[in-house]
Amino acid sequence: MTTLHNTSTHSRPIPNPAKSLITKLNMGTGTVVGILFALGAYYALRPAADAANFYNQQNKALLAGMFAWSIGFLVGIGAFIGPFRWLIGKDLTAEEQLYLAGDGQGIKRYFKYCTDHKVVGIQYLVGVMAMLGVGGTMAMMIRTSLAIPGGHFVGATIYNSLVGLHGITMIIAMIIVATGPFGNYIMPIMIGARDMAFPRLNALSWWVLFTAIPVLCSAWFLGGIPTGWTAYAPLSVQAGPGMNAFIATIIIFAFSTAVAGMNITATVVAMRAKGMKWNRVPIFVIGATMSVALAIPAFPTFMLAMVQTATDRVFNTGFYDANVGGSGWLYAHLFWIMGHPEVYVILLPGVAILMEIAPVFVRKPLFSFNAAVMGFAGIAGLSVLVWAHHMYISGWTPTLNGPFMVTTEMISVPTGLLFLVLLGTIWRGKPWMKLPMLALFAVIWNLLIGGITGIYLSDVPADNYLHGSMYVTAHFHYTLMGAALTGAVAGLAYWFPKMTGRMLNERAGYISFWFTQIGFQILFLGMFIAGAEGQPRRVVSFAAMYKYQNMISTGGAYLVGTGFIILLWAVIHSWRKGDIAPQNPWGAKTLEWTVPYPVPLENFDELPVITSDPYGYGKGN
Amino acid sequence: MSTDTSANHTFHIHHDAPAVVGRRERLGVRLLIVADAAFVVAMIFSYFYLRGLNANGGWVPKGGHTLSASTGWVVAAPLVIAAIAHKIGAKSRNVVTSGIVLLSMLVGGYLQWHQLAHMPFISVDDGGRHFFEGAYASNWAVLGGANMFHYIIGTFLALGLFIRRSRAKVDPTLEYWRQLTASSWFTWIAISAVLCAITTGII
Repeated sequence: MTTLHNTSTHSRPIPNPAKSLITKLNMGTGTVVGILFALGAYYALRPAADAANFYNQQNKALLAGMFAWSIGFLVGIGAFIGPFRWLIGKDLTAEEQLYLAGDGQGIKRYFKYCTDHKVVGIQYLVGVMAMLGVGGTMAMMIRTSLAIPGGHFVGATIYNSLVGLHGITMIIAMIIVATGPFGNYIMPIMIGARDMAFPRLNALSWWVLFTAIPVLCSAWFLGGIPTGWTAYAPLSVQAGPGMNAFIATIIIFAFSTAVAGMNITATVVAMRAKGMKWNRVPIFVIGATMSVALAIPAFPTFMLAMVQTATDRVFNTGFYDANVGGSGWLYAHLFWIMGHPEVYVILLPGVAILMEIAPVFVRKPLFSFNAAVMGFAGIAGLSVLVWAHHMYISGWTPTLNGPFMVTTEMISVPTGLLFLVLLGTIWRGKPWMKLPMLALFAVIWNLLIGGITGIYLSDVPADNYLHGSMYVTAHFHYTLMGAALTGAVAGLAYWFPKMTGRMLNERAGYISFWFTQIGFQILFLGMFIAGAEGQPRRVVSFAAMYKYQNMISTGGAYLVGTGFIILLWAVIHSWRKGDIAPQNPWGAKTLEWTVPYPVPLENFDELPVITSDPYGYGKGN
Repeated sequence: MSTDTSANHTFHIHHDAPAVVGRRERLGVRLLIVADAAFVVAMIFSYFYLRGLNANGGWVPKGGHTLSASTGWVVAAPLVIAAIAHKIGAKSRNVVTSGIVLLSMLVGGYLQWHQLAHMPFISVDDGGRHFFEGAYASNWAVLGGANMFHYIIGTFLALGLFIRRSRAKVDPTLEYWRQLTASSWFTWIAISAVLCAITTGII
């Protein structure tokens, strides 16, 4: 953590509402109360060993314990003090609100229910890095197990759980990887706001998400999840107690996402600086807002799928049991109505970051702001009409395969607009080849591969052959990891100076970049070949004919792992001891670079008035 | 980005004009309503999808224990009354109307709980295991559960508004906007309950 200080921020007396409960609550009290709630709920509902409905009762006790942990933690950290005080008509005082904002509390505020959007942004950043670390470690275990036929670094049951937990951990991490840290820390400053629209809900979205992490981890101690991250029913209904952790995690996460999405959208719509018309809003803000606005209606369907799975497991309802009128197709619909928009919820902010970066590092205006907005809007709109391409071979209404193939392939059009904007911006420019710009070139390549291979999967005859193979795994990793994650890493390198006051170690960043990107191509091009030759995904044993492809892939995985360890070292080392960053190291024109580090509590001494768009490079302003 | 400094800057996020804060809060609530509406629409989709499939003839419970079409309206009616009463009282900040809203929430919540506690389509198998007879029963229970969730949130809001009006804690400007914001929520949960009542009426 940085040791820089800003005297103007800390010259005010630290608010000390001495008698207020909020001064005594933090992560520690939250954890204690959460554990007490969880134990209380679990022991109140735990089944007798000889109970006729032991399976249902056990699921009920575990789910109740998990939700009680989440609620208890939020009670213990003080999340409900504001609503309770509103209820009884004793609103928080100005001094208490200033205390909640963490004013002058140093590093302690990161462990409290702090409403400052910059603190929440850092909490998201650290949380995301931890989740990516855990998910990445699981990926390395998977690849190690697949290094040679019959390698079995882990057993089949553990392998199944590894695949599922790696999937869901990474999906959650990737959904928040850009909009969490940068959407919270940078975006309000970019639009000239003093804070988010709803600061207390902002803190709530983070801490709710935080409570989901131990719940998901508990799956390991409850027998794991054997279903993969898609958790298809009725397999998920019949799975062991670890499945409860998956269900509770998704429900908690969906709640957090709705709150965060609402907050970001409301902030951008209602709190832009004077003069910041929609065509003057930075493109990252547009992309991030489209992403979270898409998540608001998409995630509740997954939440319902999990609620129905839970009631099938606990109360013996019959949503997914064909014997009593249910259907596994219902789950597939609800899951993929969320599942495909979710890909774009992940992708859009990553691409938007690159559009933010490109003009800065080639010193040219963004090529067609309107085309970029149309691209984002087209993708967001079409993404809700394509879900059934995941169900071509499920047997569900084959006559609709054609229409869904058309809608899916139509997504190439707005995606092409995004390429056009990126390429048009860098065309004939003289790129300043810093780490963010390198990442931009990598994303253009990776997204191209991910996009083109996706066309084959949208095509009904080709999908009949490729569905469920390693080809699919390679395709979506090119899109989510190669494009979205690399875009987020570009954002980290770009905004690191503003978020930490230090420059990211450039040499380590370059080394990490080349390890990661070269390893990535080896890893997933090898997987494409294995998949095209028929190797199924999610299976620990494979035939000897796939030996070399898998060996190559595993070698690539180790290069990627090494690259990310170097990046982690670079982030930690630079954060502690990196070179002090100037206020605007890249010479960018967006508002976040006009404020000093540490950014003052309310960002701006005086609110800015915007008189032009933020990409006026070479225009003399 | 070219910027200028607002010379006569008067707005401050923590001291924004009440109407500005009020509109922002109303927008936030409406966005949350979008999320909740997506959940409700997904439930209705689930109901009609399984009804259309009728897998293994399992839509209607084996014993034919469906509920009367009026049951949904019984729990929707208090929400509609609450939404209307709140709308009427929002401008005048009348304590009586907020009392009616609170009472409607409590009565409706009790009725919903009573319906859920006395569902006629739960059977016990040979092993002593309780289970729902058919997909209609499953959907009905989850729709009822969602209504119950709306009642709980609505009761919290109604209680808060009642207490604040009783204690004259109603700021004439900011609180006025909060009444309007609450009105969006009350209106939505009434619409949601009506949609659920229409849905469960089609057996």
